[in-house]
Amino acid sequence: MRAQEVLAALKEALGDGFRDGEIRTRTVGVKSPQTIEEVWGRIDRGVLLPAVRALKDLGPLHISIISGADVGEEIELLYHFAVGFGTEGGEVMVTLKLTIPKSDPVVPSLCEVLPGAETTEREKIEFLGVRFEGIPDSRHLFLPEDMEVHPWRKDEPELAGLVKRKVKWEERDG
Amino acid sequence: MGELAKAFEIPIGPVHPALKEPIRFTFRVEGERIVGVDIKPGFAHRGIEFMGLHRNLVQVLYLAERICGICSISHPVALVQAVENAAGIEVPPRAQYIRVIVAELERIHSHLLWAGVAAHELGFDTLLHLTWKVRERVLDILEELTGNRVNYAIPIYGGVRRDITPEQYPRVQEMIRYYRGLFEELCDRFLNDASVEARTRDVGVLEPDEAEALCAVGPTARASGLRKDVRQDWPYLVYGDLGIKAITPEDYGTEPRGDVYDRIVVRLLEVAQSIDIIERCLEEMPEGEITFIPKIPALLAQLKKAEGEGIGRHEAPRGEVIHYVRLEAGKEEPVVWKVKAPTYSNLMSWYPMFEDQEIADIPIVAASIDPCMCCMDRVHLVRGGREELVWKEELLKLSREKTRKMALGNG
Repeated sequence: MRAQEVLAALKEALGDGFRDGEIRTRTVGVKSPQTIEEVWGRIDRGVLLPAVRALKDLGPLHISIISGADVGEEIELLYHFAVGFGTEGGEVMVTLKLTIPKSDPVVPSLCEVLPGAETTEREKIEFLGVRFEGIPDSRHLFLPEDMEVHPWRKDEPELAGLVKRKVKWEERDG
Repeated sequence: MGELAKAFEIPIGPVHPALKEPIRFTFRVEGERIVGVDIKPGFAHRGIEFMGLHRNLVQVLYLAERICGICSISHPVALVQAVENAAGIEVPPRAQYIRVIVAELERIHSHLLWAGVAAHELGFDTLLHLTWKVRERVLDILEELTGNRVNYAIPIYGGVRRDITPEQYPRVQEMIRYYRGLFEELCDRFLNDASVEARTRDVGVLEPDEAEALCAVGPTARASGLRKDVRQDWPYLVYGDLGIKAITPEDYGTEPRGDVYDRIVVRLLEVAQSIDIIERCLEEMPEGEITFIPKIPALLAQLKKAEGEGIGRHEAPRGEVIHYVRLEAGKEEPVVWKVKAPTYSNLMSWYPMFEDQEIADIPIVAASIDPCMCCMDRVHLVRGGREELVWKEELLKLSREKTRKMALGNG
């Protein structure tokens, strides 16, 4: 599969919901160099599920991971997909970025289309405080259930206390 | 009768029944059959990504090396690719070959380690000792080439930290001959053994459609017949030149069934594949530089100026590793660093695998995806509201008794 096909399919399925779409290329290999193409783009959360369905129509779809970052008033999520997963030399990495306001950190869950996304979505719940609508299981995965601090948020005042905590009986850094 | 025949819940862990790593399984059992499972990882979560966001990139590389003691080159290889893509750094050809050689040596040692653990879980300790004895050879070579048996500290942004010298070639080639000579015997011991087959055939089955939907990776997916391998599908380093093909049980001449036996087949064949890759790399490796910027302060200064984002992927012994890095000019530390290890993707595969299995099969099914977390001391068993402690030895005894009974049954 070619990156152009993926880009065209996303544009067709999402229209204006897909922005800043680009193909980034680089060359790998020594004896017989090959060009590797990656698709990057920005979407609105409203078109996330149609985007994933459009990618799934292109071939076996794999979600590698959802990365996330606190960018001030918003949270940025980066969905890294491998489209055509398991096709020799034909896998295209697609990264879809979407931003959601901290005041309303809700995105639709992918589990209905891609059940394998549950692990990474549950991780974003605890680390960034994102809510996934329709996720079958929203309990914490890696962090304790009663931990309310989201470690990747930059506006968590309790976080410094957790990282630089004093050992009380010694009155020095723990 | 009704109230007697209902399901019980058995929590196993957080200390792990099969490997020396913490995770908690809560099994629902009806008699000896498992009807459901709940999995809770996170007992070894060290917040490495958080730490990385407060350190410079060379320090991050040290952290990445220590994410896993077995995959101690897989994470650095993925991280350096992500940073090289973000910062636009070229890697000299020789360095790419050296990365591949060390990565494949790691695959051999990891798969042999796993094969030994699997034999141990079945109560076949003679095979464990044989496998781990032959594994020493690859560890010796890793020590010879890198200075360490684990944590090789080989990749650096833009190259590798150590060259392979001409005097070392014959020793690596000797190791290649040693494993080639052993391979048939090893396969015979594992794959033609009646008790291994009885305990692993049709146990812990993962159907291909389940593997695909649950985004399984590595030998776990390949044993179900899916030809997925990052080295084949998304060429990086020199893997594209080497024409790697993903291995499934079909390459052994059997129809993939997606059970524990098939996972043994795939891993053993991959040991042979890695040996071939190392041999070819030694032959084809060109002379030349091994780093883009040899001096660390100059490298750090260059990385501080870099702005961009990148993905790095690698096929670790257990499957796909991916790192995402975002750099901002003027900052020494990455702004975003996300790590994904293969077990993260394979976690969901455990649900269908455990379905309808026996309690005595828990250790081998849990071990079959080659999970990478961390140690099991005891099992906490709740039976009809009455709590009992079952030690690891007892669970292993259960597993071994099953092997013995089957062996006796087979005459």
